[in-house]
Amino acid sequence: MSEQTGSQETVTLTIDDVEVTVPKGTRVLDAAQRAGVVVPFYCYHPGIPTRPAQCRVCLVSVEGQGKLQPSCVLDAQQDMVVHTATDEARLARKSVIEFLLVNHPLDCPICDAAGQCMLQDYAFETGQLESRVEEPKLVMGRDRIADDVLYFADRCIICTRCVRFMREVAQDDALIVAQRGHRAYIDTFPGTELDNPFHGNIVDVCPVGALVHEDFLFKARFWDMDSASSICPGCSNGCNVSVASKENQVVRLKPRHNAEVNSYWMCDHGRGQLVMANRGIRAEVPLLRDEDGELRPADWKDALERVASDLSNLEDGGRAVVSPHACNESLHQLRRLLERLGFRGGEFRVEQGGEATLAGFPKLKLRADRAPNATGAELFGFERVESLSAPGPGEALVVLGERLDDDPTLPDADFGEGAGYVLYLGTRLTEAARRADAILPITSVAEMQGTFTNWEGRVQRFDQVLREAGIARPAWMVLSRLVGLLGGEEPTRLEASDAFDAMAAATPGMEAMSWSSLGLKGVSLARPVDVAGGAT
Amino acid sequence: MSEGLHPSVAGAQPYMREEHQGSGTTDEPLFESDEGRERLEKIRSRYPSATPALLPLLNYAQEKNGWVSARAMQEIAGALDLTPAYVYSVATFYTMYNKRPVGRYLIQVCTNIACHLNRGEEVLERFLEETGTRPGETSENGLFTVIEVECLGACGFATVVQINEDYVENVTPEKVPDIVDALWARAEGRDV
Amino acid sequence: MAFPYRHDLETTTLLSQYMGEEEARHLDTWLERGGYEGLRKALSMEPEEIVQVVKDSGLRGRGGAGFPTGMKWSFMPGADDDRPHYLCCNADESEPGAFKDREVLRWTPHLLIEGCLIAARAIRARHAYIYIRGEFFPVLPILNRAVSDAYREGYLGEDIMGSGWSCDLTVHVGAGAYIAGEETGLMASLEGRRAEPRVKPPFPAQAGVFGQPTTVNNVETLAAVPMILTNGAEWYRQWGTEKSPGTKLWCCSGHLNRPGNYELALGVPLKDILFDVCGGIPEGRAVRAVIPGGSSTAYLTPDELDCETTYEGLKEAGSSLGTASPIVMDESTCLLGATRRIAQFYAHESCGQCVQCREGTEWIAEILTRIEHGDGRMEDIDTLYDLCEQLTGRTICVLADSVVFPLKSSLDKFRDEYEAHILRDTCTAT
Repeated sequence: MSEQTGSQETVTLTIDDVEVTVPKGTRVLDAAQRAGVVVPFYCYHPGIPTRPAQCRVCLVSVEGQGKLQPSCVLDAQQDMVVHTATDEARLARKSVIEFLLVNHPLDCPICDAAGQCMLQDYAFETGQLESRVEEPKLVMGRDRIADDVLYFADRCIICTRCVRFMREVAQDDALIVAQRGHRAYIDTFPGTELDNPFHGNIVDVCPVGALVHEDFLFKARFWDMDSASSICPGCSNGCNVSVASKENQVVRLKPRHNAEVNSYWMCDHGRGQLVMANRGIRAEVPLLRDEDGELRPADWKDALERVASDLSNLEDGGRAVVSPHACNESLHQLRRLLERLGFRGGEFRVEQGGEATLAGFPKLKLRADRAPNATGAELFGFERVESLSAPGPGEALVVLGERLDDDPTLPDADFGEGAGYVLYLGTRLTEAARRADAILPITSVAEMQGTFTNWEGRVQRFDQVLREAGIARPAWMVLSRLVGLLGGEEPTRLEASDAFDAMAAATPGMEAMSWSSLGLKGVSLARPVDVAGGAT
Repeated sequence: MSEGLHPSVAGAQPYMREEHQGSGTTDEPLFESDEGRERLEKIRSRYPSATPALLPLLNYAQEKNGWVSARAMQEIAGALDLTPAYVYSVATFYTMYNKRPVGRYLIQVCTNIACHLNRGEEVLERFLEETGTRPGETSENGLFTVIEVECLGACGFATVVQINEDYVENVTPEKVPDIVDALWARAEGRDV
Repeated sequence: MAFPYRHDLETTTLLSQYMGEEEARHLDTWLERGGYEGLRKALSMEPEEIVQVVKDSGLRGRGGAGFPTGMKWSFMPGADDDRPHYLCCNADESEPGAFKDREVLRWTPHLLIEGCLIAARAIRARHAYIYIRGEFFPVLPILNRAVSDAYREGYLGEDIMGSGWSCDLTVHVGAGAYIAGEETGLMASLEGRRAEPRVKPPFPAQAGVFGQPTTVNNVETLAAVPMILTNGAEWYRQWGTEKSPGTKLWCCSGHLNRPGNYELALGVPLKDILFDVCGGIPEGRAVRAVIPGGSSTAYLTPDELDCETTYEGLKEAGSSLGTASPIVMDESTCLLGATRRIAQFYAHESCGQCVQCREGTEWIAEILTRIEHGDGRMEDIDTLYDLCEQLTGRTICVLADSVVFPLKSSLDKFRDEYEAHILRDTCTAT
């Protein structure tokens, strides 16, 4: 008997001897997931609305029904008894793999998908590692389907996830199946390529190595990569990502699922982020200007003591210039430092760019603010400006992360001239940075832990995936030390979680948060966010 | 012509017209003339939405031009508010749409089971010989394209050959030369 | 030119009575032959009454599946459903061996129109689509003229025959896809998509073409409806058997002296049809194998031809009536080649959605080709049997199951042919 629980009717069924109760209208595949039973699938994808039931890999036995049923579309019924691992179901699954291997080339040694390929996975799981086919395989070749995406037609299993992602999620019906039968392949209109700000997701949904990113081609084997959960720094949407690195270089970003932020997707602009994170010339050691006016390396102890001393001797006041790429903890610590110094506050500017919305999941938007923490910067009292104000005569400047050298309203690299003292915390030695009195090297997003606050006030953690460049340290750690040297009470060791918890305790809207409570999905600020940069 | 056509059959006009194949192949716009617009409206009126009009319009493109070009696909896509990619996907699913121009006489030889039992493959071979072509290729003079097709639905009268819109039944290999000669004669305006 | 032959052996000319007469095509002369009288009667009946008559007649779908027509109609929602309902006439006739619907279309198009209208009224549809295969160009002018004339004279459109009931009809022409003859494939094609069959449920009667309740019927089925309305269910049951009443348009092809169409009451023994009605095999050769119901049915051996040509009779004989399209193969036939050609057909027509069908049908065709050319191994027979199993009951539609019928029966009944090719590189054909 199906029951009314609250506002929704439910059904109870048994899957592999496990009883599970689900809302009416749930499909057996989803019910199985709830019951902890794993049923393989290709054409189904939780983020794509349609379920064509055409891969035939999710077939299960249902008592009372003669034929095997595709569980992805079968409605769970009251008292239904489902078996996913009968001999018949297993055989059917195995045979699907064999059929796929009829023409699928054994490209594993040269295929980027190896190690994270659903065909490999199910081949091993079912034990179907080869096919009996003696006939030559159909060869279909390779096609450039988008500027940066290649399609290896031979590997394609025609699950149509890519086609349906474009049609239903991106809502840009530009990718289709051409021809029919075993000659079918994926294509765009002849003479065109995919040109959509979200098309990179088709590579993610491809279960095999048929669709690959060209800039990742042959770069890294799946098992050679390290990865960490992070937040895309490309704009203020705050898409959850997984950053993969090999030999301490970022090789790619892939989206992580977050139902409140980006679903299963991310935009193409974001995929290009962080790849240059630790390349080029980095600030790797503290630099202090000596009596001759030259910048000389120093160790952290000397550098921090000297900077603290210089700061405490300032007479003409000062202010800060921050970057909206700085994390919440760093901005919080900077605020504490400014208060201790009696400085009058700070500014930040945000690079702008064109917007693009993922029509099928409109919360995912490539936003105009091309930085991950503009909201955080405002939260901690910094003022958003179009162009930075020049310092007053003799006024000190504390610069956190801002490169300074690309402000079009200011003469090249002149920013900071006329300032009484410039303290620069940054990742790169730009021209303007080299005019500072002291340079303290900080870590990039990929080299540290911290949190960002996205466009709508969601606070999300990001984790470290690369080693620090040189002896750079997270800005929040450096600033906390300075505060301590200027007379504040500071712990001798500071973890990211400690920095966060301390910040949360002192920041309106974050009081109920803790580093652990943020988990992998983040938590919204307790108060509404009023952001100048466009909270739509 | 579209005027006088009852809307119920506006989308059901034959579309393998001899005059638009071979050297008569064109790629004229479909909906810039009054006739084309009228045909579009009549067809469109028979369905509750735009997409169902797609096959009738692809048929119309081939009726007017002898083939379905990429340009025609884009034009049809525009008329129905579909993407060209979608139209292309549908057009390549069905075998009768010529994605390239064909010869004046598209000779379609069935070799399915009943015709196979009645020397259908030999008939096909003979047509290829007599026209001097290879399967699917158009002869130099633009007159003949010979292809192998599946069951045409006249199995009792094997071997069945369809030449453009006409069914030629009970074809034996021996009859092929005369059939091809007759096509030559027609092309040259002679009587046979 | 072809039209059903008249023959003494229990022929009945219910459907084919006027086939061959030019005047049957034209509305005025068709009316003289009693045209649209069935519709006239139906217009005075409620939909449920019409459904009951057809149910009582026992008429079964003539497109190959043999599903009781009245029952199919009764699956449609009733009067309290205000969604648009649709009737689709399946004139996509592409089953190898079948060539009967063409005769109805080109000789008695008004009979078909009438059948469509009666069916539409029975299922509360206001629009009927005739989906006709693209290759049937010769038929189109005849059909189109009939439809246009019917509209002009008030047999289609508003206020049909002054009854107050209205119904439209549209002719929709395909473009070369056997799978568009599958019920859901047809609906997909009608909707302007690739003719890819859909998962059922939902069934067409709940959500069919354009997402609305739909019934799809074969041409020959609809053509039988007017006379059932005019003469009654009991009358129709004079022919055929209890479970398989009525007459059937037979399509006989292959090695026969008189191939072609014959209308016969259901139940005539198959061998009588082939050897009497069709005059047996040319030059007195012996029969080797017969596929009785179109290419999707199992082979019968020479000693299995005694069967009664009913749905139940052919099933008992290990095959099926299908579209009543026997393909006769004499002793000179290489059965491997025949089966290979049939497999190639299915491979060519697979829509490509389901992995088993997309890859399996082509694989089967390639194995058979290889064996045919002398490169086979005994293991191939095991593989083929296995493929038969993997292609049965696993896919969205039954195209994959369809290739299994001829393939498996060829392995079961003509194994010697396979072995001859594999082991001795010869053929057992003579």
